[in-house]
Amino acid sequence: MLQFPPWKIFLVLAVIVWGTLMALPSVANMSGAPSWLPQKPVNLGLDLRGGVYLEMEIRPEEVIEGRLAVFSRDVRSALAPTDTLGRVAHLAEVKGRVMTVKLTKADAAGNFPVADAIARINKVNGPLEGGLAGGKMFDVAQTGPDTVSITVPANSESLMVADALAKTETIVARRVDPDGVAEISLTPSGSNRLILEAPGEPNPQRLKDLLNRDGRMTFNIVDDSPSSLAAAQAGVVKPGYTLLSGPTTGPLLVRSIPEIVGSDIANASQGNDEANRPQINFRLNSNGARKFFETTSQNTNKRFAIVLDDVVMSAPNINEPIAGGNVRITGDFTIEEAQDLAAIISAGEMPAKVQFLDQRVVSSTLGEDSIEAGYTAAIVGLLFVGVLMVLAYGLQGLFAVISLALNIVLVFACLVLMNATLTLPGIGGIVLTLGMSVDANVLVFERIREEQRSGRSAWTAVQAGYERAFATIMDANITLLFAAAVLYVMGSGPVKGFAVTLALGNITSVFTSVIVTCMLTVFWMKLTKPKRFAI
Amino acid sequence: MLIRYWPAETNIPFMKFNTAGVALSILMIVGSIFLLATRGLNLGVDFAGGSLIELAETDTVTVSDVRSRIPGGLTVNSATGSDDKRLVVVRFGELDESLLGPEFAALSEDEKAARASSLSNSFIVSELKREFNLTDNDILRNDSVGAKVSEELFWESLLALGVATLFMLLYIAFRYSWSYAVGGIAALLHDTIGTLGLFSLLQIEFDLTTVAALLTIIGYSMNDSVVVFDRMREVRRKYKQMSGSDVINLATNQTLSRTFLTAGAVFIAVLAMLFFGGPVLKGMSVAMLWGIFIGTYSSIFFASAIVLALGTEVNKPSDEIDVTGFRGVP
Repeated sequence: MLQFPPWKIFLVLAVIVWGTLMALPSVANMSGAPSWLPQKPVNLGLDLRGGVYLEMEIRPEEVIEGRLAVFSRDVRSALAPTDTLGRVAHLAEVKGRVMTVKLTKADAAGNFPVADAIARINKVNGPLEGGLAGGKMFDVAQTGPDTVSITVPANSESLMVADALAKTETIVARRVDPDGVAEISLTPSGSNRLILEAPGEPNPQRLKDLLNRDGRMTFNIVDDSPSSLAAAQAGVVKPGYTLLSGPTTGPLLVRSIPEIVGSDIANASQGNDEANRPQINFRLNSNGARKFFETTSQNTNKRFAIVLDDVVMSAPNINEPIAGGNVRITGDFTIEEAQDLAAIISAGEMPAKVQFLDQRVVSSTLGEDSIEAGYTAAIVGLLFVGVLMVLAYGLQGLFAVISLALNIVLVFACLVLMNATLTLPGIGGIVLTLGMSVDANVLVFERIREEQRSGRSAWTAVQAGYERAFATIMDANITLLFAAAVLYVMGSGPVKGFAVTLALGNITSVFTSVIVTCMLTVFWMKLTKPKRFAI
Repeated sequence: MLIRYWPAETNIPFMKFNTAGVALSILMIVGSIFLLATRGLNLGVDFAGGSLIELAETDTVTVSDVRSRIPGGLTVNSATGSDDKRLVVVRFGELDESLLGPEFAALSEDEKAARASSLSNSFIVSELKREFNLTDNDILRNDSVGAKVSEELFWESLLALGVATLFMLLYIAFRYSWSYAVGGIAALLHDTIGTLGLFSLLQIEFDLTTVAALLTIIGYSMNDSVVVFDRMREVRRKYKQMSGSDVINLATNQTLSRTFLTAGAVFIAVLAMLFFGGPVLKGMSVAMLWGIFIGTYSSIFFASAIVLALGTEVNKPSDEIDVTGFRGVP
């Protein structure tokens, strides 16, 4: 224990130098430092630096309903007439987790062609992605003489939800941070939740508004005949058409089947019109541009409505066929509104609506105050503990305080290394490991005192002190390391933040309070060769 | 020249006060449970759900102004923030449906439950901004927690804590013995319940930050117990004929100087956190100060008594020879 061969000294010094360099950017401004030095400060949690934390979830029911609705289109076309088979007359309806297909036309004997319908539906029923061989996305079963029910089996449901969550994550990221420059963090949690952390953002409402939209963008041809519109407003909507309205256009009757959908859009951005007012520019991809050219060729002198989430944003007239696929929306937007709408349009449609469960906002001024106060508290605390230790143990106490300060440095270095985040509860974890670090030194020193009292010489007392106390220190630290590991794996948010610093601190405090203090003591003893160990 | 905070060799017969110590602990535990059952905890929004908004108090934004000018079932209080600034703290749950507009009324019951807390928050924030002409930066803190999450957080934290405790129990049982493990966990529960009792008595707000403090207290209590146990085991091996209570007395006396110095050092560090750490660390610091006190007390009086009561190990000396970690010294 008291042997310090050169390699051991070198190793200890290397760790100290590494730790100091890694931790330095967290307290000092490194802009003037040479570039080979680490520049990255420790990540601070939102509770310390300010920003918005949002927890949201998508609901499995909604995901399933959405997938069934998409599948119902396939079912309709599968049951439609083909070259060899006639039409299976039916009504398909999605309600919650079940799609019910009711056959409406029996044969001469009064039987419905249920077997035929199931066979045809199963042709479009895709295999389960990543599932066992033979698994299908949907369960298709006869539930009545004329009824087929289509449901989603449990293993397929979890795949759909996972898929929807992954899509939602991409869309949320693209909406909140279209340029990919902000330091937002987006973490999936559980099977259907996302946690969004946006440091520096003061306004949760803006984020919520951005994410609340479905983002379903379509172009629909407008029927401008006044009589149809009047009939629709009176409650009789022409089949195949839908009555929509918009803030600038008023009520409009549009074709239900859109010409252009969200997947035809390549990207959107905020621009300015001739009068320098904000507008939204967007570009269609090659497929979309071709479709748009065809549509505009066939519908010249009609209007097309640009619809976002069932609200008409604008309904320009088609003066001539439009090639190239560049479209713009003008209107009464602020720059921020135009930017947000552009982000929503280019991100695409959410697979399911997000529900906000939990929101935390800390203003950056409060965050700054907290950081400053945290530093002051750390320095003052260390100073007081230092005075106490030096008064009690003299020079050895000073060694203990040096290793204590080093412990904080190493915890910061490890946080930076692991790219972990320091939160308020994390500070609690550091305080606890500092307490344990002090405790480790006190244990050793008290042990040395005892051994000296029982008549041992300086060297043997020091050796006995370190060796005997070491087992105790290890036991205490390993016990808490177990606890920290469990809290890290099972806990979330604050509990996790606490566990990270506790676990790191447990490891570094054994290093600093046993090895570093011991090394300092040994050096000092070799230098002064005391007969009695002053402690 | 060095200061001794505690005489080197004390001989306090701790186990004589054994019954009194345990009685006091049981009284405190029963009292805490009674308080928790009757008064309950002052749950913060993290666990109770709802919203908490903090604004800096100015001439125009005062507690009474907010109270009179903003509708809905709000609790408006003042608090002292960093730099001794006065803060207006607004707390509320879900607002009356009529305030949330026709769009909300049109939602299904399911949707309403999911969105009420978020929409209530949006409503109050926009009202505050409009009434008092505030910008986003004037809102220092705005937490809104839905009922679903608050409940989950509570149970999840409790479960993690339970499993962590179980692992510590197993480790101590493996390294020491079952009676020590049970003693240590008893001390841990003692400290946790005692701290919750204090929170209930003083009606200090119980939120996620206090959970962090509670975790720190548990860790501290565990560390303290392990250190005392370790010494008990050592004394047991050294003095084979000693009675169990004498072993505990000697071990406690031998570690007493360490116990006070460590507790003192951590106490000072936490005091620094309380006075200089700003408002965010305040609740955590208060809980930790109490935790250090109760953690030290429990490892001396409560954990030892449990070990003695259960302890075949501490009472009956084993035949093992002391070989732990101590070699090369004659």
